[in-house]
Amino acid sequence: MKSQTTRAFVALVIGGVLTLGAFLGAFFWAGVPDFGFVRTAERVESVRYQGPFDQAIDETRYLQNFAGYDVEVTAGGETVRGELIEADETHVTLATADGEVRLSAAEFDSARVRGSSYGRPDWGQKIFYFHVPAAEISFIVFGFAAFYSLRFIMTKKREYDIRARISMEVTLLFIMLTMATGILWTKAAWGVWWDWEPRLTTYFIMTLLVIAYFVLRNSVEDEERRALYAAAFSILGFIDAPISFFITRLIPSNHPVIERGGLEPPMLVSFIIAQIGMIAFGYAIYQLRMGEMLLKDRIEQAKTQLER
Amino acid sequence: MAASSMRQFRAMLRKDIVMELRTKEMLMSMGLYSLLTMVVYFVALSQAGSAFDPRDIAAGLLWLAFIFTSMLGLNRSLVHEKDQGCLEALLLSPVDRPVIFFAKVIGNLIFLLIVEALTIPVFAFLFLQGSEMVTSSLALIPLVLVGGSIGIAGVGTLLATMSVNTSGKDFVLAMLFIPLVYPLLLGAVTATGAAIVGGPEALGVFWTGMAWVFGYDVIMLLASYGLYEFIVGA
Amino acid sequence: MGEREPSAPALEVRELTRAFGVRKALDEVSFSLPERAFLSVFGPNGAGKTTLIKVLTTLLNPTSGEAKVLGLDVVADAVEMRKRIGLISHNPLLYPDLTAEENLLFFAEMYGVDEPHVRVAELLEAVELDHRRLDLTRTFSRGMLQRLSIARALLHRPEVLFLDEPYSGLDPHAMDILDGLIAQIRGDHTFVMISHDLDKGLELCSHALILARGRVVLFEPRTAIDERVFRETYRTTVGMGVA
Repeated sequence: MKSQTTRAFVALVIGGVLTLGAFLGAFFWAGVPDFGFVRTAERVESVRYQGPFDQAIDETRYLQNFAGYDVEVTAGGETVRGELIEADETHVTLATADGEVRLSAAEFDSARVRGSSYGRPDWGQKIFYFHVPAAEISFIVFGFAAFYSLRFIMTKKREYDIRARISMEVTLLFIMLTMATGILWTKAAWGVWWDWEPRLTTYFIMTLLVIAYFVLRNSVEDEERRALYAAAFSILGFIDAPISFFITRLIPSNHPVIERGGLEPPMLVSFIIAQIGMIAFGYAIYQLRMGEMLLKDRIEQAKTQLER
Repeated sequence: MAASSMRQFRAMLRKDIVMELRTKEMLMSMGLYSLLTMVVYFVALSQAGSAFDPRDIAAGLLWLAFIFTSMLGLNRSLVHEKDQGCLEALLLSPVDRPVIFFAKVIGNLIFLLIVEALTIPVFAFLFLQGSEMVTSSLALIPLVLVGGSIGIAGVGTLLATMSVNTSGKDFVLAMLFIPLVYPLLLGAVTATGAAIVGGPEALGVFWTGMAWVFGYDVIMLLASYGLYEFIVGA
Repeated sequence: MGEREPSAPALEVRELTRAFGVRKALDEVSFSLPERAFLSVFGPNGAGKTTLIKVLTTLLNPTSGEAKVLGLDVVADAVEMRKRIGLISHNPLLYPDLTAEENLLFFAEMYGVDEPHVRVAELLEAVELDHRRLDLTRTFSRGMLQRLSIARALLHRPEVLFLDEPYSGLDPHAMDILDGLIAQIRGDHTFVMISHDLDKGLELCSHALILARGRVVLFEPRTAIDERVFRETYRTTVGMGVA
């Protein structure tokens, strides 16, 4: 028992360190590349934002990123238009047709930035390092759950039911992570929080399947029946998920598709580390829960022994 | 004493049909539920004006009605068995569990198809007046109905067998059923939509959708058939 | 159709256990019942009596151990076994929207009974429900339902009859009919009956079994039972309350 908990904690620490390392690596080391070989249909050329934009800004310090762009500043009732030279918390400097204009933040009302493209560091792409591993892991663990469910149906051994349930719990966790990071990415890349785009939709379906699993478990009194029903549903869900995903190939998608394999070394390393980190994380949670369950079982057994 | 599976199957199917014809409980409730859905559709679409083509959304609306109606029917059909402990009596008899499964699936399928067959003319009457319909592709609709309903009946029977033993009943059935049946729904709506709209590309889209429907049916029916034995005895 | 030696037991239960996790509904139950015996099963609520019956009638599978009815294993030979056993439960196990006759005919079909109509008519008369055979069972009183249920159980001429508190909720007339029927077929059938009625159970039985918490507290042939000791044991175990 002790060694299992120790293992779990070690895995948790490793997972945390690796994931954090990948995060940091993603931000600093992997730089701000043009993630150009990721192609999305229609909406964006690359995950780095391109295309005409018209952005309203209401604090001077937010203008800092737009040096060199065409801005229109409204200050003290007047509107001044020109190319932005610099901006920070206290003032804004524009190069207008009449020469340099320096406005203080006190007078500043609002500004509009217009442009045809901008090379803001694409923080949105960073999410990729977490979103994809999390999604992958969620599927893998979902598969484990189905496997344990199958074993349970075949052997009726309660331990398989416990493993199946814990696997589903871990799946739920990773699904939530994937959904959360996915929604953030959608916002960063396309400017909307949600889209009924096929891959998102089918992942949403998978979320529902996992939640349904727990709803089912909660609504059955009898232990063995509960385990059997849950196992059956887990298997059906696992069969259903790939069908759902393949059916989306029918429908044209906005979801990024990797065109060309191969990531530049800094990114590749970060990516792989994130993968490993996530796996370790998932494993850790699984083991911790397992340990908890086994402990509970032993207590139950001791209780029953005492009763007799 | 010979109790062939075929004989047992027929006996169970006949029993379900006799009971249903006598009470008309399922058919009535499913039929009326369908009708009520139509009323809600009218309200839902009343603000949309006449700018949209009802043919575009007809497929989706129809299958929406079918899905919810079928859940109602599935629930009732299984509640019958549970009521007087009749399922126990069935399990006591020397019948193979899969035979029970098929008898229930076919029974549910028949009732579902009846309700669908009645709903479509009503829907057309209410919403598709004045729309041009390509009759040749319309003839394909029964195919989708059967294909989609088989999947619904197969998976639905298994899930209803479980949900009837839970404390949530209808809700649990919905929670389990809708995510699982999503791909089938997508395929069926695609195919039905193509059949209703018609046109030169319709056939291609139709058969793509149908391919998914049949694929789903085969896979999920096999899985349900395999799992039923373990579920029904619990 | 497995042939067995004439002195083979009708029921053979060996270390039958049904457990899930730490909870044991049946805990290594063992006993052997000869043919044409009448076993009365007693015990407090939750003792595992219904579970035992369910395992013996193939409705539930054992977790470990063995149970054989008429030489047939409850797991391996389940389908074959079901043809030769019958269950009368406190649930009528009948379809409310079918007539009495339709109900019996349906089950006759399920069991593959030869000449179903003849057999059904015969049984309807035996339980004195012939005059109501075309009525929906939904209109029947509890006593009538139970009588019809008896008819249902006997359709396929089972050799072993399981009864799960068959007298509960019956009016005296129905009780008499049940008594009569049991007396009639007593000779060449084996019975296993769960009963909360100690007197009735003892009166009818040839063997008695007391279960508590899934374990066998007592299993004796009637002849070996000292009634006073038995009642005392019964009182203490049943008095132990829920297992």
